[in-house]
Amino acid sequence: MPDETRHSPRPLDGIRVLDFTHVLAGPFCTRVLGDLGADIVKVATNSRPATGGGPESPYYTMWNRNKRLLQLNLARPEAQQIARDLAAKADIIIDNFSVGVLDRWGLDWHSVAQTNPGVISIAMSGMGSSGPWASYVTFAPTIHALAGLTYLTGVPGRNDIGVGFSYNDHMAGLHAATALLAALEARRATGRGQRIDMSQFEVGVGFSGPALLDWFANGVAAEPIANDPPWRIAAPHNTYPCAGEDRWIAIAVETDQQWQSLRALLGDPAWARNAEFDSADGRWQRRAELDAQLTSWTARQDPYDLMQRCQQAGVPAGVVQTGEDLTQRDPQLQHTNFFFEHDDPHPTFGPINGDRLPLRFSKTDAAQYRRPQIFGESNTTILSDWLSMSAEQVQSAAAEGIVE
Amino acid sequence: MLGSTGSLAGVRVLDLTDDRAIYAGKLLGDLGASVLRLEPPEGDPLRRRGPTHNGESLWHAFFASSRSHARPESDIEAILALASSADILIDCGRLRSAQISPGDLLDANPALVVVDVSSFGPDGPWADYQAPALVAEALGGVAATSGDSDTPPLKLFGDQYAFIAGVYAAIAALAALRHARETGAGQIVSLAVHEALASVLEHVLMWAWFDDQLPFGAGSAGAFLPRQGSLHWSRAYQVMQANGGAIMITPTPDFQAQLAWLVEEDAHDDLLDPKYAEPENIVLLIERSMDALRRWTATKDVEPFFHEAQRRHHPYGWVMPIPEVAANPQLEARDWWTDYPLGEQTVKGPGPPYRMADTPAQIGGDPSRPEPASAEQILNEIGWAD
Repeated sequence: MPDETRHSPRPLDGIRVLDFTHVLAGPFCTRVLGDLGADIVKVATNSRPATGGGPESPYYTMWNRNKRLLQLNLARPEAQQIARDLAAKADIIIDNFSVGVLDRWGLDWHSVAQTNPGVISIAMSGMGSSGPWASYVTFAPTIHALAGLTYLTGVPGRNDIGVGFSYNDHMAGLHAATALLAALEARRATGRGQRIDMSQFEVGVGFSGPALLDWFANGVAAEPIANDPPWRIAAPHNTYPCAGEDRWIAIAVETDQQWQSLRALLGDPAWARNAEFDSADGRWQRRAELDAQLTSWTARQDPYDLMQRCQQAGVPAGVVQTGEDLTQRDPQLQHTNFFFEHDDPHPTFGPINGDRLPLRFSKTDAAQYRRPQIFGESNTTILSDWLSMSAEQVQSAAAEGIVE
Repeated sequence: MLGSTGSLAGVRVLDLTDDRAIYAGKLLGDLGASVLRLEPPEGDPLRRRGPTHNGESLWHAFFASSRSHARPESDIEAILALASSADILIDCGRLRSAQISPGDLLDANPALVVVDVSSFGPDGPWADYQAPALVAEALGGVAATSGDSDTPPLKLFGDQYAFIAGVYAAIAALAALRHARETGAGQIVSLAVHEALASVLEHVLMWAWFDDQLPFGAGSAGAFLPRQGSLHWSRAYQVMQANGGAIMITPTPDFQAQLAWLVEEDAHDDLLDPKYAEPENIVLLIERSMDALRRWTATKDVEPFFHEAQRRHHPYGWVMPIPEVAANPQLEARDWWTDYPLGEQTVKGPGPPYRMADTPAQIGGDPSRPEPASAEQILNEIGWAD
């Protein structure tokens, strides 16, 4: 967003984004674009419920930094006209509504492009704009189920575990950002914007790519395999309990050399000298026995200390870190200053934290963060910057209930 | 010819990645960039990764699609020559192994974008740690929140860490490319897989920072939510068992419409009790609703139940194994599947993750095993010599 306190250039300086997204997938896309320097104007409306929580909810606060917030009563024709005027100034329009919602407000690509031919729009609907399921409604757990991710992430014999967080929402947002950046490059050559139809379902199905090729080529249907590596043999390769309450470590032995190193760490016990364990195939055949032996070894040990000793010996190992570990213990994330506190306290929550965009640009520093806005903080500056409306005009629109 | 059509037509990408960022080259190639995967002189170990078909790697066919492949006689000579003609170079440590400084590459080609992907970043206490998928997902916070209370923490199926790091690498490349187009200045962008994973955990960081603000926050349990199978952190989404299969059920976003459906089928238990309308009973309402839904779901046949829910705009999700995903009528109707080159044949697989109206993404490429070649031969073959 425009900010006179910022001095270093950013990759998307000068790009204006009109943001009609809600919940996570769309807001995560525009969070990334905002981190990269785009001017994000997020339009909120009272004419539909704030799914995922409004601007004073923790969930909203997580995904809406580096954006300005404009509250329009889009049930009013005058507010719809303001939205169309904003669209005429936008480089990018983004929504994750169900199919057709923006069309009703005259904000579809074809309508906007009549006066703004360079505009790029992306519709991040659940199923895409066509097909027999186009009207189906989805959240990330819906997509995980339909795309095979729920079925496959689990232990043998279970079909009810799946991914423990809204993975596909983040990934749909990141893929949308990729498509938009590509469309900006295409516009540079042609001068024309275009419409992008994104199906969050199609994004999610792609994550089973090799399994789907295996099905189509070989007729082999992948099944849940817990922590075994798919399509190759490696053992021991699992998460193992450590000292403490629900503490675990992941150990991933993928080569014979790593096994020999782990054996030395174990103290070269008699059971580990079995020649069958010297080969990957032998360890794979007896991986249940290996898991049991390792469990008895790891269960008495501190996970961080054990990880360090494994890694120093050349054995890939990592603590199963919780959110508390990531934010309070992880020395690598502390070293890279991955977490930060916003300079400006949030009006509702006071001091709030954030996680940096995990990209470090050597010349266009993206690590510039403005806290999420609440209603009423940015209406005037947005309408002034984009539409040259005076403060009096904005106040008048607010008095009439057009701007909220 | 690769790189002649699509949004990124004319953009040249030198792909030096391993599995951590190989997906970036696919995304850029799908979008029309001319992507050259420069295999190590000894050959690409990812060509051996399963699953396979007739001895060819399907893993490689998928992740290394939409690009050309070359195998240099001399790694250093080829990298230096190709980087001088490229717009983007994506690396996972190969430059360091070849003792090539990214800064030297930018001196020779000032508009070059170098994306440097590593497990933990260029320095720090864990910079030299090894982190294959299981370890990366454990340290990155993925495993702690996946799995159930009676299972170990689980990594996600497949190589999801490669998808996460890969898409971030593509964003890094394209964002820096835009800056280079505007100013003529290339740059180096560093990406740590560890940070990438920690950035896509949905509720996990929120739980650590806002636990006292959530109606069912961690409170005395500590600032993290233990793994709990498919039960969402909000407790309002869960996979339940129906006749013929499992289905993800949620009463959100319209509790009233869900309640009306339960009432219609006399499956609402005591949910009409006015106490559930009190804000302080929101957690109780969710729990009782999920109990009622679980019992009701057990009486349903999964396929018609799923479609009826969606007809009523409830975001239920039928838990589909791979064969049913492959037969999905929505994907068929949108003509989404595409053919991946594999040796002398093709195999069906996922299409691009977006549809660009004017510059459509397209999957293709030539996956054949390259013979060792000189830098000059590679440059001429790929058409980057000019």
